[in-house]
Amino acid sequence: MFLINCPYCGERDQSEFSNGGEAHVKRPENPDSISDKEWAEYVFVRSNPKGIFYERWVHSHGCRKWFNAVRNTSTDEILKIYKLDEKPPSLDEFKHTLQTPSGEPELGSGNFTVKK
Amino acid sequence: MKEIFSIRGLDIFQKNFQQVVLRSKGGDKFNEIVNKETSLLPPSSNLAITNNENFLFAKQSFDQWNLFYLKEKKHEEVLKFISTVNSDEEILASDYSYGQVYFEISGEKRNYYLNKLTHFDLREKKFPVFTMAQTLIAKIDCSVYNLKDKYLITCNSSFEEYFRERLLDSVNV
Amino acid sequence: MSAINNTKSFHLISSQKISFTFDGKKYTGFKGDTVASALLRNNIKLIGRSFKYHRPRGIYTCGIEEPNALIQILSEHSEPNTRATVKRIYEGMVIVSQNRWPSLKMDIGSINNLLSPIFSAGFYYKTFMGPKGFWKKVYEPIIRRTAGLGKPPKDFRSKSVHHYHNVDIVIVGGGLNGLIAAKKLINTDYDVLLIEQDSFLGGVLNNSKKIKDIDGQENVEWLKNTEDLIRKSKNIKILKDTLVTTYNFKDHLIAIEDKAVESAPTSYKSELALHKIRTKHTILANGHIERFISFRNNDLPGVMLASSFEKYIHRYGVVPDSNPIIFTNNSSTFSLLKSLVDLGCKPLAYIDYRNNSSIEKNILDFLKNNNIQTYTSSEIEGCDGTNILKEVSIRDDKKNIIKIKTSMLCVSGGINPDVHLFTQSKGLIKWDSKYLTFKPDKPFQNTITLGSASGNFNYQSLNEEVNDKLSFLKGAKEIKIKLNLNTADDLNIREIWETKHEKETLWSKSFIDLQNDVTTKDLSQAVSEGFDRIEHLKRFTTNSMGTDQGKISSINSLGIVSKILNKNISDVGTTIYRPPYSPLSFSAIAGRNTYEFYDPKRKTAIHSWHIKNNAVFEDVGQWKRPWYFKLNQSETMHQAVQRESRQLRETAGILDGSTLGKIEVKGKDALEFMNLMYTNAFTKMKPMTSRYVLMLGEDGMVKDDGIVSKINDQHFIATTTTGGAPKVLGDMEEYAQTEWPHLKVYMNSITEQFSTFNISGPKSRAIMRKVFSEVDFSNEKFPFMTFNTFNYLDTKVRIMRASFTGELGYEIYVPPKYALELWEKIFRNGKNLGLIPYGTETMHLLRAEKGYVVVGQDTDGTVTPVDLNLNWMIGKKKKDFIGKRSLSRSDTSKKNRKQLVGIIPIDKNKNIEEGQHIVEIKSLPSNIKEPIEYLGHITSSYHSPALKHCIAMALVKGGNQLMGKKIFVSKSNSSETVESEIVNPVFLDPNNRRLLS
Repeated sequence: MFLINCPYCGERDQSEFSNGGEAHVKRPENPDSISDKEWAEYVFVRSNPKGIFYERWVHSHGCRKWFNAVRNTSTDEILKIYKLDEKPPSLDEFKHTLQTPSGEPELGSGNFTVKK
Repeated sequence: MKEIFSIRGLDIFQKNFQQVVLRSKGGDKFNEIVNKETSLLPPSSNLAITNNENFLFAKQSFDQWNLFYLKEKKHEEVLKFISTVNSDEEILASDYSYGQVYFEISGEKRNYYLNKLTHFDLREKKFPVFTMAQTLIAKIDCSVYNLKDKYLITCNSSFEEYFRERLLDSVNV
Repeated sequence: MSAINNTKSFHLISSQKISFTFDGKKYTGFKGDTVASALLRNNIKLIGRSFKYHRPRGIYTCGIEEPNALIQILSEHSEPNTRATVKRIYEGMVIVSQNRWPSLKMDIGSINNLLSPIFSAGFYYKTFMGPKGFWKKVYEPIIRRTAGLGKPPKDFRSKSVHHYHNVDIVIVGGGLNGLIAAKKLINTDYDVLLIEQDSFLGGVLNNSKKIKDIDGQENVEWLKNTEDLIRKSKNIKILKDTLVTTYNFKDHLIAIEDKAVESAPTSYKSELALHKIRTKHTILANGHIERFISFRNNDLPGVMLASSFEKYIHRYGVVPDSNPIIFTNNSSTFSLLKSLVDLGCKPLAYIDYRNNSSIEKNILDFLKNNNIQTYTSSEIEGCDGTNILKEVSIRDDKKNIIKIKTSMLCVSGGINPDVHLFTQSKGLIKWDSKYLTFKPDKPFQNTITLGSASGNFNYQSLNEEVNDKLSFLKGAKEIKIKLNLNTADDLNIREIWETKHEKETLWSKSFIDLQNDVTTKDLSQAVSEGFDRIEHLKRFTTNSMGTDQGKISSINSLGIVSKILNKNISDVGTTIYRPPYSPLSFSAIAGRNTYEFYDPKRKTAIHSWHIKNNAVFEDVGQWKRPWYFKLNQSETMHQAVQRESRQLRETAGILDGSTLGKIEVKGKDALEFMNLMYTNAFTKMKPMTSRYVLMLGEDGMVKDDGIVSKINDQHFIATTTTGGAPKVLGDMEEYAQTEWPHLKVYMNSITEQFSTFNISGPKSRAIMRKVFSEVDFSNEKFPFMTFNTFNYLDTKVRIMRASFTGELGYEIYVPPKYALELWEKIFRNGKNLGLIPYGTETMHLLRAEKGYVVVGQDTDGTVTPVDLNLNWMIGKKKKDFIGKRSLSRSDTSKKNRKQLVGIIPIDKNKNIEEGQHIVEIKSLPSNIKEPIEYLGHITSSYHSPALKHCIAMALVKGGNQLMGKKIFVSKSNSSETVESEIVNPVFLDPNNRRLLS
């Protein structure tokens, strides 16, 4: 159970929030003009990276507002929280947190216990 | 006002208020409409509470306010105000009178007992006086208003019995 | 050679006697004793039988790390697997030993010990492979009877509570380092929680005589003064008898408090409290755990860890044996030697694995001066004895075996910092080649480790460490503690994990995991079978997988494996310690969220009336809804539902529909928003009319239904299903905020702001006219699917003409304050017109007669509106709405999808069961070998009182093309089928004459 800093209510326990999956997946403007495949991509397909992930959260047991977060999925660290109308931060901002080739930091990933 | 119990550093009273939930992006026109009815300006900073002898006004989020009638009016008068507000197409006013229950909780051990039911950080440095918060208490959605020496906690009235029993239980067990 | 009391111990100062029974015999201990210390006081050393081999086991340690001494407490709803080394006695406590039959001393299961070749590493995976059917009939019943530990408790209601804490600093461990850290934080701005697993603070100051005095004061006096200081400081709270079991992300700790220490559980007080703690910084000062050494029969009762023996002397005031033998590879046992000699108890022998030159001079001098038989460069080869230690075999520096008779052996194999919580927090640990152990290295969270928990075993550097590591805390005072030590200067340890066997019999075993009966031989066998990765080896052998998580032995197993693999221990690595640190009772995890508080209960404003009128309730989500109303005690549910249904179609019925979700939607763009959310087209809809609506997911599947009422293009009120209300509001908010933020629209839940009554039946108009005399309810003025608002007392009610039963009907929306009064008024007025209350079951039956679907019953997330023949509800001309595009995907638009149809039995006396399969063959084979083609399944089935036979709804492949087809419906518990026919799902009044009357 980690803390999430709701942009409107402040730091709250994770149990007050619901995860809304990947962020910045835009609903197609003219669904009728795209192919079955393209539509299915939008409805069913999401990326599922180990490491840096841009995702949506909603403060469902609080103010019911949606916002975006950048989270490291291998450590659960929330690296950034930003409002829906704010520009997504660039991946470069989080480069320093990536220390291994597969994208997870050395610390906290659960892959290693013993310091080499 | 109904006293539920008063033991071991916890005093709980159940109250009835009329309440209106207002949704708007705020602004002068909104302030004017509301001020006319309440003689209050809606609080502008998030989670803040203002009040006078007739009303308590809290900002719940950037586009949502809660208005409590501290002195009961005829329901049709509340409905009239709502209908006036709703004539502005950019505001939604919904009547919350009678659909909510209100528990006034005081006593020196109120944080201790409430923290048997909620993870919410009630310490004053995190939950200042005259602010409000929406959170989970005893697994249900509640709003908590910090009125200095007491909290006002509201939840949906269908939970009334359940919530009262949980409050009692937190003191007894 | 028996136990004696250490009357100098502070524990025995108030020596109040307590009696309890163990395996039926009465014993006496002192107040504050654990079960283990009390039994040792009574010279009881055999406590239980082991998990697999049923070998006799005793008390190995003096705390939470205990692998052996597990007991069952009959006086506490038969609580099993309780650690005798932790649990305190109280008057009248009833304890029994575990895993033995018929008695502890004479146990038949111990034959397993002789069969041990088949119980070796991985035996579960290898032994019980065949023949077919043996697992279920032979192996499993035998294993279930003989393996395992205590028996599960019976019938008791948990009264455990939860406590949430929000603090700035948690100090785990109220020992010397924890206390110094707390002292530093006195009167600072930090909210501090100091957590101690024992009933009093002090740790090493109580457990040993390693520290003679502190700041010039006696240990006990210093402790009292320090605790007083801490207690006076308003910012520090102390939790005793509380064990931190879990360190989660992010700085979230879980601790369990025993609230019934030294007392029997009562029916009104909670016995456990689970503390859920959110902090900013965590100071781990949780100390260390001593490890053992493996040798032949190192599990015999009488073998005990040396520091535990010392703890019994000082902490509990009992010397478990007046003349034990000591075996060590380090200097930590020096204080035990001194303590024994102080009490006039001379150890029979001192065996040190180190050679003369590497043992500190003061230790050697002490041994010599006190004339203690000393063997250096020596080791314990093994132990012998039946049920209890009788004799040890020493292999001396010349490899000669020397045998000495004794009843206790104290072993020290070194000290491990207690890194469990640190690794749970995902901190990295590092091998320390000086102390031969893993110690914390890089923390991942805001974690600080202090003292032996950080791998610092040097008391002299304690001031410096604490001041240094806590210097970042604002306002923390500089601390200087003066310690007068009674120990060797350093640990000075020599590596040894296991000694060599001389004797090879089936009884001779050298254990690495005492609780799971894993031997050192199992480790080498596992490695030779290819399980050389430490995580694999752990699971294959079950090493360190017991409830003690191998606290005294897991590092030893790494040492042994590193020797087999000829690798460094740091390259072998360690397994990950997972929460909880120590077993947590399920009752503590559940807390009060069980029984009556398992789930919140929601009640409508009419609830009390329902109870008075013999309603039987059904849970719909969290709501309590009347299911049916019992006319009298003998009426069955079937009778009640048939009666309610018949009566409603003849006269009128009223349903409490307050649980339906209601959402108010308003804004400049409300019309466009509603057009996007629902399948229906709202543009041409007239103000003050209502419509039956469908909401889809983006996948095109039906998600919810309801009625939308349009006040004007900017203002709508939508109803949802009872269970769907939060989801529908959530989806509306989601789309309004994330996809269409340009639409100016707001929505509020008004579910609780209105009580809703559904009156329907041919007499409903007459009743409404009596209740609301000023309203014109004629068909012309108040047609189907229109609504209006009317004054009522000093409030307003909204009345809508709508129906879910197929009869003429009205829905009344009234503020809850006025609801009960209005409900009763309706009854007074409806009495002579035959008005009855009805419940959800009757509602379901009546709607099925009309072929109306219930979302979630007749649909399951794979059903489109087209599958339900609700094409007419789709605003095809709309450019877009949620799920529209999916309706033309190849899969959703194909012809033979499952479609909603009606099913009636050919033989009208037969019934169809809900959930049954529809097939084309009349008789199903009793033993199905080949798959049978399946056409669909029954979603709803009722006995229709109007038609006087069973009616059912079903989803059937290509069902619309199969009208009139004969099919067969399977039955539960029978290979027979019910011969049936596919029909139109509207069974009654297909022209809506009743509805529009």
